[in-house]
Amino acid sequence: MMSEKKSAHLIKVGEEFEPLEFLVTPEMNQQYLYAEEDFHPRYIEASPEGPPLVHPGILYNMSNNTRSPSFYLPPGWSEVHAAEETEFINPARVGKKIRVTWKVIEAFEKRGKPWHVLDILIVDEDGVQIMRRIMTNTFASLSL
Amino acid sequence: MVRINKDTPIGLEFTGKPKKMSWERLWAFSGGPFNQQGWPKKNLHTDTEFAKSMGLPTVGASATQYLGHMTELMIGLFGEEWLRHGKMRKIKFIKLVADGDVLTSKARVVSKKTEGLKIEYDLSISVKNQNNDEVLIGSAIGSIPAE
Repeated sequence: MMSEKKSAHLIKVGEEFEPLEFLVTPEMNQQYLYAEEDFHPRYIEASPEGPPLVHPGILYNMSNNTRSPSFYLPPGWSEVHAAEETEFINPARVGKKIRVTWKVIEAFEKRGKPWHVLDILIVDEDGVQIMRRIMTNTFASLSL
Repeated sequence: MVRINKDTPIGLEFTGKPKKMSWERLWAFSGGPFNQQGWPKKNLHTDTEFAKSMGLPTVGASATQYLGHMTELMIGLFGEEWLRHGKMRKIKFIKLVADGDVLTSKARVVSKKTEGLKIEYDLSISVKNQNNDEVLIGSAIGSIPAE
């Protein structure tokens, strides 16, 4: 685990970004329903199986590694999301705390730019696995 | 939305609802919580000047925003059960999505096979903008009960 912030593009294979924990409230969920223009009742109303489902848009956006408390890039740098593999494992439910972890599993240089492949796991407060992502990012800077 | 069923043929294409990437929806997705002071947070998804400072012509929508559109299409095709087994593979984001773009998710059945009590479908998926340019390509896997 990283103990201090360093530029994300310098994180090495095997290192992890600081995990993120967040609570999905109905208000947060409904903000994403608006953003995604997807107002299906499954995200608003409870069912016999439990509280409303968390919209997948939240899971995607909050598991981008830019959400990690330790994510840092110097001014003038940005991270570009280039590719993705996603596996849904269980639905997440509103009212649960979600924990996201990020581990760098590949780092390489291509066309003069650094690239990272991240293994991302989302679990809820009960330890139920929600989603796994393999996210490929490159980094852009006006100086590159 | 028509659900995939055991009689769904290879080659059939499904299309999601077109969605405009309006400023309001970009801000709602990438601007942070509504109750955060100074909302929306300025970043390359929400602020033109910020994006230009990074060398972009305008803001670029977060790829996860339209990955969400595609996921809506998948849940429409396979039901909520897709959230327990669905996979998206070899997804590539190949073109900038700007403010005002209108995106449409598409999925075409490439193959299907029966495995035990399930029929597994392999889909070719894409998201296209209003000019019919692909902005996302890849594949998706989902299954339904064989009975």
